[in-house]
Amino acid sequence: MGDREAFAALYRATSAKLFGTCLRVLTERAEAEEAVQEVYIKIWRNADRYAAGGYSPMTWLITIARNHAIDRLRKRRAQVMRGEAGGGSDEGGGNLLDQIADGAPSVEARMIAEGEAGRIGACLGELEQARSEAVQRAYLGGESYADLAAHFGVPVNTMRTWLRRSLLKLKECLSR
Amino acid sequence: MSAETPLPEDDRALAGEYVLGLLEPAQAQAFEARMSRDPALRALVAEWAEGLVPLADGGEVPPPGTTWLNIEQTLFGNEAKSVPFWRKLGIGQAVFGAIAAAGLAFVVVNSGLLQSGAPLSTTAPAMRADLGAQIAAQDASLVVAALYDSSSGEMRLNRVAGEMPSARAREIWVIAAEAAPRSLGLLETSGVTVIRVPEELRAQMAGAVLAISDEPLGGSPTGAPTGAVLATGPVSAL
Repeated sequence: MGDREAFAALYRATSAKLFGTCLRVLTERAEAEEAVQEVYIKIWRNADRYAAGGYSPMTWLITIARNHAIDRLRKRRAQVMRGEAGGGSDEGGGNLLDQIADGAPSVEARMIAEGEAGRIGACLGELEQARSEAVQRAYLGGESYADLAAHFGVPVNTMRTWLRRSLLKLKECLSR
Repeated sequence: MSAETPLPEDDRALAGEYVLGLLEPAQAQAFEARMSRDPALRALVAEWAEGLVPLADGGEVPPPGTTWLNIEQTLFGNEAKSVPFWRKLGIGQAVFGAIAAAGLAFVVVNSGLLQSGAPLSTTAPAMRADLGAQIAAQDASLVVAALYDSSSGEMRLNRVAGEMPSARAREIWVIAAEAAPRSLGLLETSGVTVIRVPEELRAQMAGAVLAISDEPLGGSPTGAPTGAVLATGPVSAL
């Protein structure tokens, strides 16, 4: 079995999972299809770097997919923002802005119910609801501190302080 | 692992921010630089990644058939293009195989050798390894863990899976970038193999590839691998 056959086998074994991840982050099917293609191209090209991170194999793969999907989401958001800043309030952009700028409405839809995502679901359940939401907005929505601060209507520094505090609680719970 | 030396609170939150993607680019870079020197920090990041990854689980949704065709076309469409040397050696095969086999070899390296009390540290004085490799056959029929100490140029290898035949030798090679393989010597039939890496090769160890070939007793008569390449693995920072 050569590299290519091995890679094809890896694709067969994992592509449904990674496409699921891209869909979860990007929600739009067409974009998720493009993203998952790019993800496998990345995996092939970075295969020699798979080591020493300490990630389990599936975590490594899903993390590549998640990070790539988040990059795309952020680029999409930035494009929309630039479009608006430039005064071009063309309809399509405006609609998209509504969709995205007000904190990716799909994030709520994607929120995990307690217990659904195993340990992390239970641990998020121990946080105040808004803080749990903030963690998920960052992880699945690729939101920055500035985005989160705007969404929750608090100064960026406040946002940072309470998110960091939430992360410590979360880590404590995950390590229990 | 992290129970031994609890990291400062700041690092625990910082590692979480890093995994969530909340750090500014400059902060993230600085963090990665620290991570490359600090195994405990790396372990912490891995813990965060493992902890959060179920959130990214969108279930199993098969992508359309065209997806694979596009990937193949992008990667292999122009087959005539030069292929990186590591790929010719079957590194990809080893790596993908290892992943597909749920990272057996990977686990061996990460859980066994690097901790005190592992085979290496009991048979030889402590070394300050900063680089490592899992030299593994695709089907894990041969797995050799390697640790390398850049400051002394010493490499230690330990066979953690696979048999040693009595009538053949196993030779260790290092391949730096596109250079031809250079022999590092033969794998001991039992116990730990200790190698002093030649001065001129030391600077190239990071990012190099280690390989093990099947050779006649006494090693390759030509100075280049003559038998099958049995196992390979990239050298990476610990």
